[in-house]
Amino acid sequence: MTSAGVGVLGAPARSDQAPPGRLRAAGRGGPPGARGLWFVLPFLAVLTLFMFVPLGYAIYTSLFTTKLIGGTSFSALANYDQVLTSPDFWDGVRRVLLFAVIQVPVTIGLAAFFAAIFDLGVAKFGRFFRVVFFVPFAIPAVVGALMWSFLLLPQLGPYTRLAGTLGFPGTNYFSSSLILPTIIVIVIWEWTGYNMTILYTALKSIPRDVVEAAVIDGATFSRVILRVKLPMIKPAVVMLVFINLVGALQLFTEPSILSAFQPQAVSYSFTPALYVYNTAVGSGEYNLGAAAAVVLGLVIGAISAGSLAWRRRKGDLA
Amino acid sequence: MTTALRGTGASAKTGAGGWAARRRAAAARRRERRAAEVANAVPVRLYGLRRGTVTLLTLCAVLFALFILAPLAWLVVNATKTQANVYSTFGFWFARPFVLFRNLGLLTQSMSGSGVYLQWMGNTALYAALGAGGATVLCALAGYGFARYRFRGSNALFYLTLSTLLVPITAVALPLYLVYAKVGLINSIWGMVLPSMVSPVGVYLMRTFIAASVPPELVAAARIDGAGEVTVFLRIAVPLMVPGLVTVFLLNVVAVWNNYFLPLIIFTRSGSYPLTVGLALLAQGAGTGSKGGLVPVLIAGGLVTVIPVVLLFVLLQRYFRADLLRGSTTG
Repeated sequence: MTSAGVGVLGAPARSDQAPPGRLRAAGRGGPPGARGLWFVLPFLAVLTLFMFVPLGYAIYTSLFTTKLIGGTSFSALANYDQVLTSPDFWDGVRRVLLFAVIQVPVTIGLAAFFAAIFDLGVAKFGRFFRVVFFVPFAIPAVVGALMWSFLLLPQLGPYTRLAGTLGFPGTNYFSSSLILPTIIVIVIWEWTGYNMTILYTALKSIPRDVVEAAVIDGATFSRVILRVKLPMIKPAVVMLVFINLVGALQLFTEPSILSAFQPQAVSYSFTPALYVYNTAVGSGEYNLGAAAAVVLGLVIGAISAGSLAWRRRKGDLA
Repeated sequence: MTTALRGTGASAKTGAGGWAARRRAAAARRRERRAAEVANAVPVRLYGLRRGTVTLLTLCAVLFALFILAPLAWLVVNATKTQANVYSTFGFWFARPFVLFRNLGLLTQSMSGSGVYLQWMGNTALYAALGAGGATVLCALAGYGFARYRFRGSNALFYLTLSTLLVPITAVALPLYLVYAKVGLINSIWGMVLPSMVSPVGVYLMRTFIAASVPPELVAAARIDGAGEVTVFLRIAVPLMVPGLVTVFLLNVVAVWNNYFLPLIIFTRSGSYPLTVGLALLAQGAGTGSKGGLVPVLIAGGLVTVIPVVLLFVLLQRYFRADLLRGSTTG
């Protein structure tokens, strides 16, 4: 290690946890470890008040029904029944799944391709390109979606005109058949650089001798990438699949901004997150919205739990 | 060990001089890392690549860079145009009249009752500073507590923290709103700032970072010398944690600055809006064409929204550790 903590997560299994012996040494000369609780307590307090309490309250609320006449009454799982049998809710779920099936592999594929060629140094100006590709990460999704909305505006947008010149006059990127591909392109624009940065640091942590041995054995550079390097960064790739999937299921900002320009393009239940927002805040059906939020949270939580379990099995987490 | 401790303590006390020395040391470490990177790379010629392949791959990168940069170029160019010119002239080049400064001036005015951009900017800066600052402090404390102490229930509490990584923001925003409605936190800045301080990813990153970069021997030595727990943390641990702290701070600034869902739900008064919600409100007006002249404000406003975060990254990039990103599980 050249400096403290380089590749902290680059070699997780090794450096993630201080060996037990060192911890014991830390406790021996000094005060009891109980004082550590005081360091952790402020975080736990905020976590409890602003995550556990609201989640508990949402679950509680979702078990009631408020009627205009008759007030609020306990209704057990009726709200969940209504959410889970709502065609609109499932329509949104199907749409984000379709979205994820396309967006996740394309994003990670592009990210892996560029990470690999920059890592091997087989393209010029790699350092410059890495910075450029990462820039959208720092740009709010609202502004990203705004820029793309103007670029793709029917008739007036530069990309719409470009499509016209290329032989597709009258292209409407916001039409019901193109709206999902449009959002996919916007999300790829936003997240490829972030994914690439993570894969690049993973590739950089592979020791030189491994690659050298392969090269000396006569491996071409595509073989080095596909057979030597990519298998070694499989944990990072799998993690990114989960991260992107969880992000895709929460899709909200991009469609809601696009809907400002083309209200008919995005229905109130276009994605599950839009369904939650429009049910609770839009129509004031808090109990139903709470139930939908709990369902969405459980689904995403289950996927994340899968990723965590996978990581723990690989010894990546403490 | 004792000498090492005194050394650290002294350099922390000397203020500006110590700071400069630390910066020099950090620069040296970066050079070393870069040199190691170069030494670690296998020379390209060994792959027996034809020159055409290198050109082709570079071309791929150029094309993708154009895809990435085009919207930003469009943003810069069109921030200088009038509303009519945004629609009628070529999107990727300037047009007369050049009205950048007039457009920027519009950001200080209330556009037909939708609220004032400048105020949203101030709100965002306040939320980001307090939220990310608070998150960094909480993460540093909690990360240190988890990494360097073993107390009753410490493992259970750490797993509890990790498990909250699984809770998506879209699932928490509405519950927060429901609670705020009960306790009167709707439209309060604390309703935005305090949940922004919850960063389980940050705690995990700090714990990992501290485990690797704050030697337990140094902590033990300081205790033997009679330093209290808080002194050890502030004088010994914190100076060694700077790259981790900066990374956690930056990630949280970006998270707060770009947050849209939470403020959209918990703020009902346009005076409390952050930039994201304010711009979306303007977009509603501009998109449906109900309010004339909003487009230049929207575009100039978008440009001004982007600049601070990009600048922050440029200024702090020497400390930013991309390799730490891999610890995050919520995108």
